[in-house]
Amino acid sequence: MPAMEWLLHKVNLIRIEDKSVQLHLSFSHLPRITSKETIVLLNEEEQQIAALMPGLAINNWTSDKLSRVWMLMQLPADEKETYIKKISGLFAAAEMNEQIALYAALPLFHYQEEWITKCEEGIRSNIAPVLEAIMYHNPYPAKFLSQPAWNQLILKAFFTEKDISLIVGINDRTNEALTLALKDYIQERLAANRSIAPEIYQLTQQIKP
Amino acid sequence: MCCNENFEERNLGEKITTSLDLSDISGMKFFDPHVHMTSRTTDDYQAMADAGIVALIEPAFWLGQPRTGIDSFIDYYSSLIGWERFRSSQFGIKHYCTIGLNSREANNEQLAEQVMEILPQFIFKEGVVGIGEIGFDDQTAAEEKYYRLQLDLAKEAALPVQIHTPHRDKKKGTQRSMDIAIEQGHAPNMVIVDHNNEETVKEVLDRGFWAAFTIYPFTKMGNERMVEIVKQYGSERIMINSAADWGISDPLAIPKTAALMKKSGISLADIELVTFRNAITAFAQSGQIDEQDFLKIKHIDQSQKYANNSILRGGQQPRLNKNSIIIS
Repeated sequence: MPAMEWLLHKVNLIRIEDKSVQLHLSFSHLPRITSKETIVLLNEEEQQIAALMPGLAINNWTSDKLSRVWMLMQLPADEKETYIKKISGLFAAAEMNEQIALYAALPLFHYQEEWITKCEEGIRSNIAPVLEAIMYHNPYPAKFLSQPAWNQLILKAFFTEKDISLIVGINDRTNEALTLALKDYIQERLAANRSIAPEIYQLTQQIKP
Repeated sequence: MCCNENFEERNLGEKITTSLDLSDISGMKFFDPHVHMTSRTTDDYQAMADAGIVALIEPAFWLGQPRTGIDSFIDYYSSLIGWERFRSSQFGIKHYCTIGLNSREANNEQLAEQVMEILPQFIFKEGVVGIGEIGFDDQTAAEEKYYRLQLDLAKEAALPVQIHTPHRDKKKGTQRSMDIAIEQGHAPNMVIVDHNNEETVKEVLDRGFWAAFTIYPFTKMGNERMVEIVKQYGSERIMINSAADWGISDPLAIPKTAALMKKSGISLADIELVTFRNAITAFAQSGQIDEQDFLKIKHIDQSQKYANNSILRGGQQPRLNKNSIIIS
């Protein structure tokens, strides 16, 4: 069965079930059908996506990631409690690539404010690609995280040596508390004779010594 | 699963300061189809990668003490497919696992029932290459019940089964494990019978099952005995593993045994089958092993630069110099 046909068939089953059996099975089974190749995106498709949801970019996504996110977007959302329960159930038993898809899908879920805790939890992950799914090209954190949680994300990004330029809203959400924490971090790194990422200076608008 | 309490005897011995020489087998690739990495350190991962281990299977087992609630099982299974797999990838080792309810905890029937309910959520996850390790410990009725139920699950999912054979009353336990697998409709070539010894190997091979041997100091097989077994029985359907866990065990058991086999005149082709190829053939019946992935995960370039920053991509671990007193 071609992948698209398989996906449509599974989504039909998922949309009508009360429980989450089909959802769990197809969500984990999916990469065996779709492959894990990196998708090829036309320039105009990139532009369309950027226009539909500023900050979101899916250029380096793989087929399975894209298909999983698409599958999540097909979940019926009319009953809030059921919707949240089903997605939370997927988070609970997710392997790494599933976590990546789930966190990348945050800006596309319904009931947007309900996922803040999930997002904060994800920032605590030690798995680099999972953190990147939250941090890179994902408009959700900048839009919904409280200031302390946002600051935690930025500090963690520096601490885990992420590419800061890929974080959506990095310049718009600077704040005094973050600047102070970053300045402390600079002092700490200097005291330890460790290198300092140039972006920290840009963000705190300090002159590099 | 171990344990021994002869620590006084162990600590009396002289401290060993020589270093291990594995130059005989340098360049060889190894696959450890049974190793409990959640109990091991990053030093172990580094040493395994250095010794040529390119991929491994982590069977679900018990934690040295019984779990008290279903959430502990959920967290454990998801750590096998999540954090532990990522940790392994940081050292360039491809990580697979088998998922199952171990025999000891099958005796807590109330909890075992709940585990049976959540297992289907995990068995189709990426990189799950079988149901395991399951089978007998004490050979109780409850153990038999959940062994049979999990054999049914494996059959339904078309997954190989990794069988733990008991320490006590081993020969009978092993025979019974095979009888029941056949009764539940499994083909012997889908069943890996683990922790064999000189007493069990003949029947396991004669009946067409895979015979796995655990090279584990003091309580299971030593590798000199293993060399003799390969000399006697050849390399067909035989594989070795370390079953390294939280007990005194050795995650380098496979490369060390390969070196010993080479010294003992066993052919390279036989060594390759026993330390690499047979395990892949057996567990690839799950459809979840692609050898290309061993290379892909190895090609992590630790110095790769990204956007002109010397940022390590994907979180690879920089190498620690263990022989320096300086920690920086």
